[in-house]
Amino acid sequence: MQVKMGIFLCDCGGSLKNIDFPRIGGNLENLEDVAFVDISHNLCLGEGKKAMTSRILTENINRVVIAACSPEFCEGDFAVLLEKLRLNPNLLSLANIREQCSWAHEGDVSAKALALVMMAVDRARLLEPVETKEVAVKNEVLVVGGGFCGMKVSLELSQLGIRTTLMERESTLGGQIRELEGFYGPQREAMIKAVEKAETIEIITSAEVTGVEGKIGDFTVRIKKGKKKILRTFGAIVFATGYKTEVAAGDFPIKPGVNIISQQRLAQLLQAPTPEAKPETIGFIFDLFDENSRFPTLATLNGALAVKQRWGSEVYVFCKNVKVDSEGVEKLYREAREQGVVFFKFDEKPTISADDDRVKIEAKDVLLGEDVTLTCNLVVAEEKFLPSEGTEGLSSLLKIKTDSRGFYQEENVNIYPVSSERKGIFFIGNCRGDLGLGRVLTDIFSVVSRIRELLSPGVVEEVDRVKVDSQKCVACLTCIRVCPHSAAQLVQIDSEKVAADISQLACDRCGICAAVCPAKAIKFEGYSDEQILAQIEAIGAL
Amino acid sequence: MNGEIIAFCCEHSAYVAADAAGKQGLHCPENLRIIRVPCAGRVDIIHILKAMEEGAAAVLVLGCEDGLCQHLTGNIRARERVNYSEMLLKEVGIDGRRVAMFNLAANAPHKFIQAVNEMNERMKELGEGK
Repeated sequence: MQVKMGIFLCDCGGSLKNIDFPRIGGNLENLEDVAFVDISHNLCLGEGKKAMTSRILTENINRVVIAACSPEFCEGDFAVLLEKLRLNPNLLSLANIREQCSWAHEGDVSAKALALVMMAVDRARLLEPVETKEVAVKNEVLVVGGGFCGMKVSLELSQLGIRTTLMERESTLGGQIRELEGFYGPQREAMIKAVEKAETIEIITSAEVTGVEGKIGDFTVRIKKGKKKILRTFGAIVFATGYKTEVAAGDFPIKPGVNIISQQRLAQLLQAPTPEAKPETIGFIFDLFDENSRFPTLATLNGALAVKQRWGSEVYVFCKNVKVDSEGVEKLYREAREQGVVFFKFDEKPTISADDDRVKIEAKDVLLGEDVTLTCNLVVAEEKFLPSEGTEGLSSLLKIKTDSRGFYQEENVNIYPVSSERKGIFFIGNCRGDLGLGRVLTDIFSVVSRIRELLSPGVVEEVDRVKVDSQKCVACLTCIRVCPHSAAQLVQIDSEKVAADISQLACDRCGICAAVCPAKAIKFEGYSDEQILAQIEAIGAL
Repeated sequence: MNGEIIAFCCEHSAYVAADAAGKQGLHCPENLRIIRVPCAGRVDIIHILKAMEEGAAAVLVLGCEDGLCQHLTGNIRARERVNYSEMLLKEVGIDGRRVAMFNLAANAPHKFIQAVNEMNERMKELGEGK
């Protein structure tokens, strides 16, 4: 089809005074394929848009070049306008002459503005329409992990009428909240009952995920329950696989046992009937390995308070800093102080030694500036906060990266907080790090709104932007290896030929595959090699 | 072409930072030409070499900060390609310092200006800078 281009220049209400619009217009008018050049004062407003619409219709152009403000502001708006005019929105090329030209320099910048428009014009010539189609999504969600997070998400989703399958590795729901002392105590059984009663929640216990295929809106999940294999499809998957805590034997000079116990063991002791010989003095210690952990702070405060109330022991806490940035922790800390819990702050690692059935902690308190020696009956040691069992296997199965500590989700601002590099797969709660209750709740509500946003229209848009030329493809698997979103796969073209294919729904449009393809078989429409090179040549030609 | 700096800007970070620089009235050299890319990882060696062939004084590849790429590895791949093109340029007798990669965030317009200014200073030293 013969290219017929219309160029719209916008002077942003006459404010871009350092660009000589009539002169640029004059230069552009005589270019090949250009039908007209319009100068407008306000393309983004109703009046400007109206004029633009009628101009596009009467001149019957098939490429639109707009020189205006940053595409960050106007691209979506103009794409919608083009769509209304039955013109493919990909046939639009923008030149950013406001932020990156008029505002970025002093003095007359007409020459640069002209160069930017010429780049957009040369790119526009090579643009091709991009087809969009709607694909139905399955209105059902899989939640993996039946702990606090998983149950809460299922309950919230069931209130929105979204069917949920809640999967748990153990034989009962509850996860870590069965063990934790303090925060969840009374609500725990009520919560499990509510989940079991909800009609839209199906519970599968003693089951594990063994495979996830497909893409957003239509994931096929293989589930193993004992010897039974279940194959199900879901629109989205939420992983709330949680964490585990561990006291490593090598971390302390004496073996954890009777006198030095973990926080989890303390919680178990507190839930059991009160022992006859209550320990008189108890020392808590944390911040030995990781200074960022909120979990030991919370567990220590809860434990210290419970010990005070139930056993009436003397309680001393040794730490670097009490982290009170999670919800409710400041209050707990004050309460602990009021109840008579004594806090010591150390800078250098305290020495711990055992003497008969008593444990001695020696530390230098930074506030007192003095050495503190405490002999106690029981020491409750900090636990390391670690990803739960099976996280590594699951992450390689899903092709999702983990951070240096083995948790899902590095703190990458772009996919943070709950989404992942695979669209439609979410990670929430403590499986992505030591969050504290406040942030766990935030995670739960943000994932619920993301899922609602995703599933409630019933369809997702599939934009056919990244294409593989199966004739050029030599099936070298490079794109499959590099794609960060697991969008590339091999497909059988005919009886002999196999070629790569990019799933448009899973694709997040980074163009890495197009850059690495050794056969140059992948074309990323809008940012294809030809279209980028055309812009470079346009700069070179001036 | 006369002494332009061609900057490939990731639309998640550097392109937004360039916009913000304009908005804040931070001025940069006028010989800068920005090409928007969806991720620094989209920039191929051929793009960098073509820019040099067309007579650009320098080529900049600007991507997200380390570890913060939306596509996880895009900025790392871009840096590898920039290093490789430096080597190729040296082989044909062009100073490798004419190509550079910088990492910056969308909210760091000052870093964007710094990167462009630094490149411009280098060009003054190597010739064709303005």
